[in-house]
Amino acid sequence: MRIIERIPWKRAAFAAAVCIAFCGTARAQVNLHLWHQMRPDAREILKERIRVFEKLHPGITVMQLYKENEELRVGYQAAAAFTGGGPELVYGPSDFVGAFESMHIIKPLEDVFPKAMLDQLDVKAHTVYRGHLYQIGDEIGNHLALIWNKRLFRQAGLDRAPKTLDELVSFGKKLTLDRNGDGVTDQYGLVWNYTEPFFFIPFYTSFGGWVMDDKGAPALDNTASVRAFDYVLGLRDRARIIPRECDYEIADSKFTEARAAMIINGSWAWSKYMEALGADFGIAMLPMNEETGLWAAPMVSSKGYFVNTSVEGATLDAVRTFVTFMLSPETQLAFATKLKTIPSNLAAQRDPLVLGDPVIAVSIEQARVGKAMPLVPEMRAIWDAMRPPYQNLLGGNITAAKAAREQQRLALQKIGELNEGKDDNEETARGNALVVGIIYILGALIALVALVLLVTRFLVPLFRNAKTLDSGNARFAVMMILPAAVLMFGVVVYPFFYNLVISLSNMSMLTVNSWSIIGFDQYGKVFGIDRFLDTMAKPDASVWMAFGQMFSTEFYGVFVKTIIWTVVNVFFHVTIGVFLAMLLNRKLPGKSLFRILLILPWAVPQYITALTWRGMLNTDSGAINAILKQVFSIAPLPWLTDSTLAFVSVIMTNIWLGFPFMMLIALGGLQSIPRELYEAAEIDGASAWQQFRTITVPLLKPVMIPAITLGIVWTFNSINVVWLVSNGGQPADQTHILVSYVYRAAFNLYRYGYAAAFSFVIFLILALFSITFMRRSSATENVY
Amino acid sequence: MQKRDSIPKLALIYAIVILFTAIAVYPVLQVVSISLRPRATLLSDSLAIIPEGATFENYIALFRDQPFLLWVRNSLLITVAVMVIGVALASTAGYAFSRFRFPGRKAGLLSLLVTQMFPATMLLLPLFIMMAKLQLINTFIGLIVIYSSTALPFCIWQMKGYYDTIPFSLEEAARIDGLGRFGSFYRVILPLAAPALVITALFSFMSAWTEYIVAAQVLYYENMFTLPIGLKTFQSNMSTEWGLYAASALIVSIPAMALFLFLSKWLVSGLTLGSVKG
Repeated sequence: MRIIERIPWKRAAFAAAVCIAFCGTARAQVNLHLWHQMRPDAREILKERIRVFEKLHPGITVMQLYKENEELRVGYQAAAAFTGGGPELVYGPSDFVGAFESMHIIKPLEDVFPKAMLDQLDVKAHTVYRGHLYQIGDEIGNHLALIWNKRLFRQAGLDRAPKTLDELVSFGKKLTLDRNGDGVTDQYGLVWNYTEPFFFIPFYTSFGGWVMDDKGAPALDNTASVRAFDYVLGLRDRARIIPRECDYEIADSKFTEARAAMIINGSWAWSKYMEALGADFGIAMLPMNEETGLWAAPMVSSKGYFVNTSVEGATLDAVRTFVTFMLSPETQLAFATKLKTIPSNLAAQRDPLVLGDPVIAVSIEQARVGKAMPLVPEMRAIWDAMRPPYQNLLGGNITAAKAAREQQRLALQKIGELNEGKDDNEETARGNALVVGIIYILGALIALVALVLLVTRFLVPLFRNAKTLDSGNARFAVMMILPAAVLMFGVVVYPFFYNLVISLSNMSMLTVNSWSIIGFDQYGKVFGIDRFLDTMAKPDASVWMAFGQMFSTEFYGVFVKTIIWTVVNVFFHVTIGVFLAMLLNRKLPGKSLFRILLILPWAVPQYITALTWRGMLNTDSGAINAILKQVFSIAPLPWLTDSTLAFVSVIMTNIWLGFPFMMLIALGGLQSIPRELYEAAEIDGASAWQQFRTITVPLLKPVMIPAITLGIVWTFNSINVVWLVSNGGQPADQTHILVSYVYRAAFNLYRYGYAAAFSFVIFLILALFSITFMRRSSATENVY
Repeated sequence: MQKRDSIPKLALIYAIVILFTAIAVYPVLQVVSISLRPRATLLSDSLAIIPEGATFENYIALFRDQPFLLWVRNSLLITVAVMVIGVALASTAGYAFSRFRFPGRKAGLLSLLVTQMFPATMLLLPLFIMMAKLQLINTFIGLIVIYSSTALPFCIWQMKGYYDTIPFSLEEAARIDGLGRFGSFYRVILPLAAPALVITALFSFMSAWTEYIVAAQVLYYENMFTLPIGLKTFQSNMSTEWGLYAASALIVSIPAMALFLFLSKWLVSGLTLGSVKG
């Protein structure tokens, strides 16, 4: 009966499948993939518009995928430049264009879209780079403006936002309050993410500065820099209207909780503040500098669609249809009215819904005085160059003049690094031919030796019965290991050799598609040998000067920090872990509850707990300083803004994250120690400490040694915690270990060859260490 | 082990354990606090754990507006596979490394360790290229293989370390009783290694359960997302949905805790070796 009932269903399903297949061939269904970085509220609108589009165009399916901004850029580059794949469409900010164009992974669009369609859009939304249109924007702006809390202004007897930089200070002073008179500021006049260069730019422009000169060279060492630096420092140290420590999240929470009267933040955050403040939401243009007559001009950029270079034919038609739909007035209004963005479609710009919106009106004015963000990839190097000196200045370590000089020097250096490989031509290639030849011969030799060793040392003994070896047992053992070995080998071998080859090459942003083997130059750069040779080449150089230059390479300092980081972390992981395991290994009522609570740091995803620690380490409002003050009456410590304390902070967080794991291992290991040993020791009158030394330690060793060895290796290479807690190495790139440094200095600037060499050096250091460590601990390998 | 302590000593032990538990728990309570906040802010000037206007809205929204259960299903599928592979391969390979002498033994142990030394910066790009070439993009198989390979070296080493503490005499007795090589491993030694198996299982589980860097590169469709990438969608440059993120992070940690609770029976049951004089 049941079977009979099922048959029609199966038939129907079959018929449907046939129909789908048939319809598919008849109408050529096109799947489009769109990768974007839209924030959560925008994503909802995007999904809704895609539904509408798919209804209108049944032949096209659009699969959207959200990626965080940086991951979108890196992910698309990996997919498109290295595998020729990736999505058909990428939606992102216009400054992606420089790197994408250099890698030839985006398509020029001027011939893809009809001129009539392009003419309907604001020219500011067209990203033209090196003579081609590469991106069609749907949004202009992404700029900063001043948001103010009208209620807090009224309470201070103010009825409008500040219009000049002087007013910003005088209003700010009225709005900065210590309500209960305890010496701690309860309400700040102004907050913003001022430690980040992008958020500093408006002040720089208000003193007449700009990041680049007409020729595209960095222009950071000038009086505008010095005066703008001084102005921001004045807000903090003289007027005291901004918090001493303020990153994006601190500013955001202070303003949202009405503990700050003004915030400088970008268009992406405005709708959130409108919701939080309701009628008290006020938006104004960033103030004018009365002295220079210039506006504090934010950087303005557009966001929009890039098309993958590999898209052709019917897919390209579908892309054209979809992008045209997304840029239609209807779709643009859906985004603009909800998110308060400036639409790029001219008809949408003229729509009463947009014209009549007070927030968009201010936004348009602000964008009008703003300055277009440079599209060249060098901008990334400039950001990286501005950050350390600026943060050093804020930390009180250098003067404004020195910071200005330093950021210019760093910018030139980093632009050079970004563009490495640019001048590599056939002549240098020929010069390297000898080195390259040697490398190939060496590679072949090593492969040969490995093969011979495999046969003589492994295969032959395994299958020939020798006196010294029970080959039956050996064969059994090898069979037991084989599955694991095949899996490990399969996963690891390709990446290893790939990395090795790239580390000998000149692969960089400009040579992704045309790299060649150049020898050991990248390794030379890692160790600063190039600096040594450059200094020696100078006529008046001494060897000591050359060594000085060589050791000024960041590698050495970061290496020392990495050692400290690893030793301190693993030491505390193991001692705390073993200590707690021993306490929990007794008769202790309620111990299962403690056990489960103690592994919480291991169980909760790191990303959020690491950031929670950032909050706890805050100078003014963090729990740690509160405890230090209440219990030990210690004055607040600048945990995250002082370079030494920041390093301590990162280590503390990582100890917290890591001890439960060691505790777990030790708990397991303690089970293998026979109770009788302790009983016998007790009878012999051994003290607790003697029992620990003579029984626990040696018997725990075989279980702990692998965990400790691997713990060292993992800690040495753990990038996440350092990155999250120090917000990418802050302050001033002082809080790095080797891996996070590679990420910041190499990958960020697309220096693939250098990054590979640096990574390989990290690997060699670890390998060298472990082999020594294993040799020393192998004496205790078999306890029984 | 398991002896009674005097009252003052017990009080001291409690004091220490409670102090460390408080340190372990406090930051997690902060996450709880974020998840209850009505506005999506990561930080707060208030030190109160239960924020003003606390709400469960984030938890409700997670199940109502997000394909959260689908992500849980995908994650479980991958994680259980990795756990099974991890336990199966590590318990056998670890045993072989512990008990037998064979050519390549030392080299094998060392190369396992060596694979852990590649910094992430060295692996990411080539792994992605390799998976693209093998058509493993957008498949769970690719992820399962990679996660297993990250968990295995530690698991093998740790199994080997534990087997080392189990006396050889047990197998000798088993062999005399007529069990084969595999039989004496499977029937006699494996049950004794339960605490180490628990750690292997937990470790494999965790390395697959929380991984997102590789998953984010490999999975292109939302209906294939694992929990950690699902979580990542709440995280956006300068506009993260902190409430949703914190709520889901806490929910994500529940299975790990539950597994630990379930497995800890074997972790501390102390299958005593005392019965066998080593």
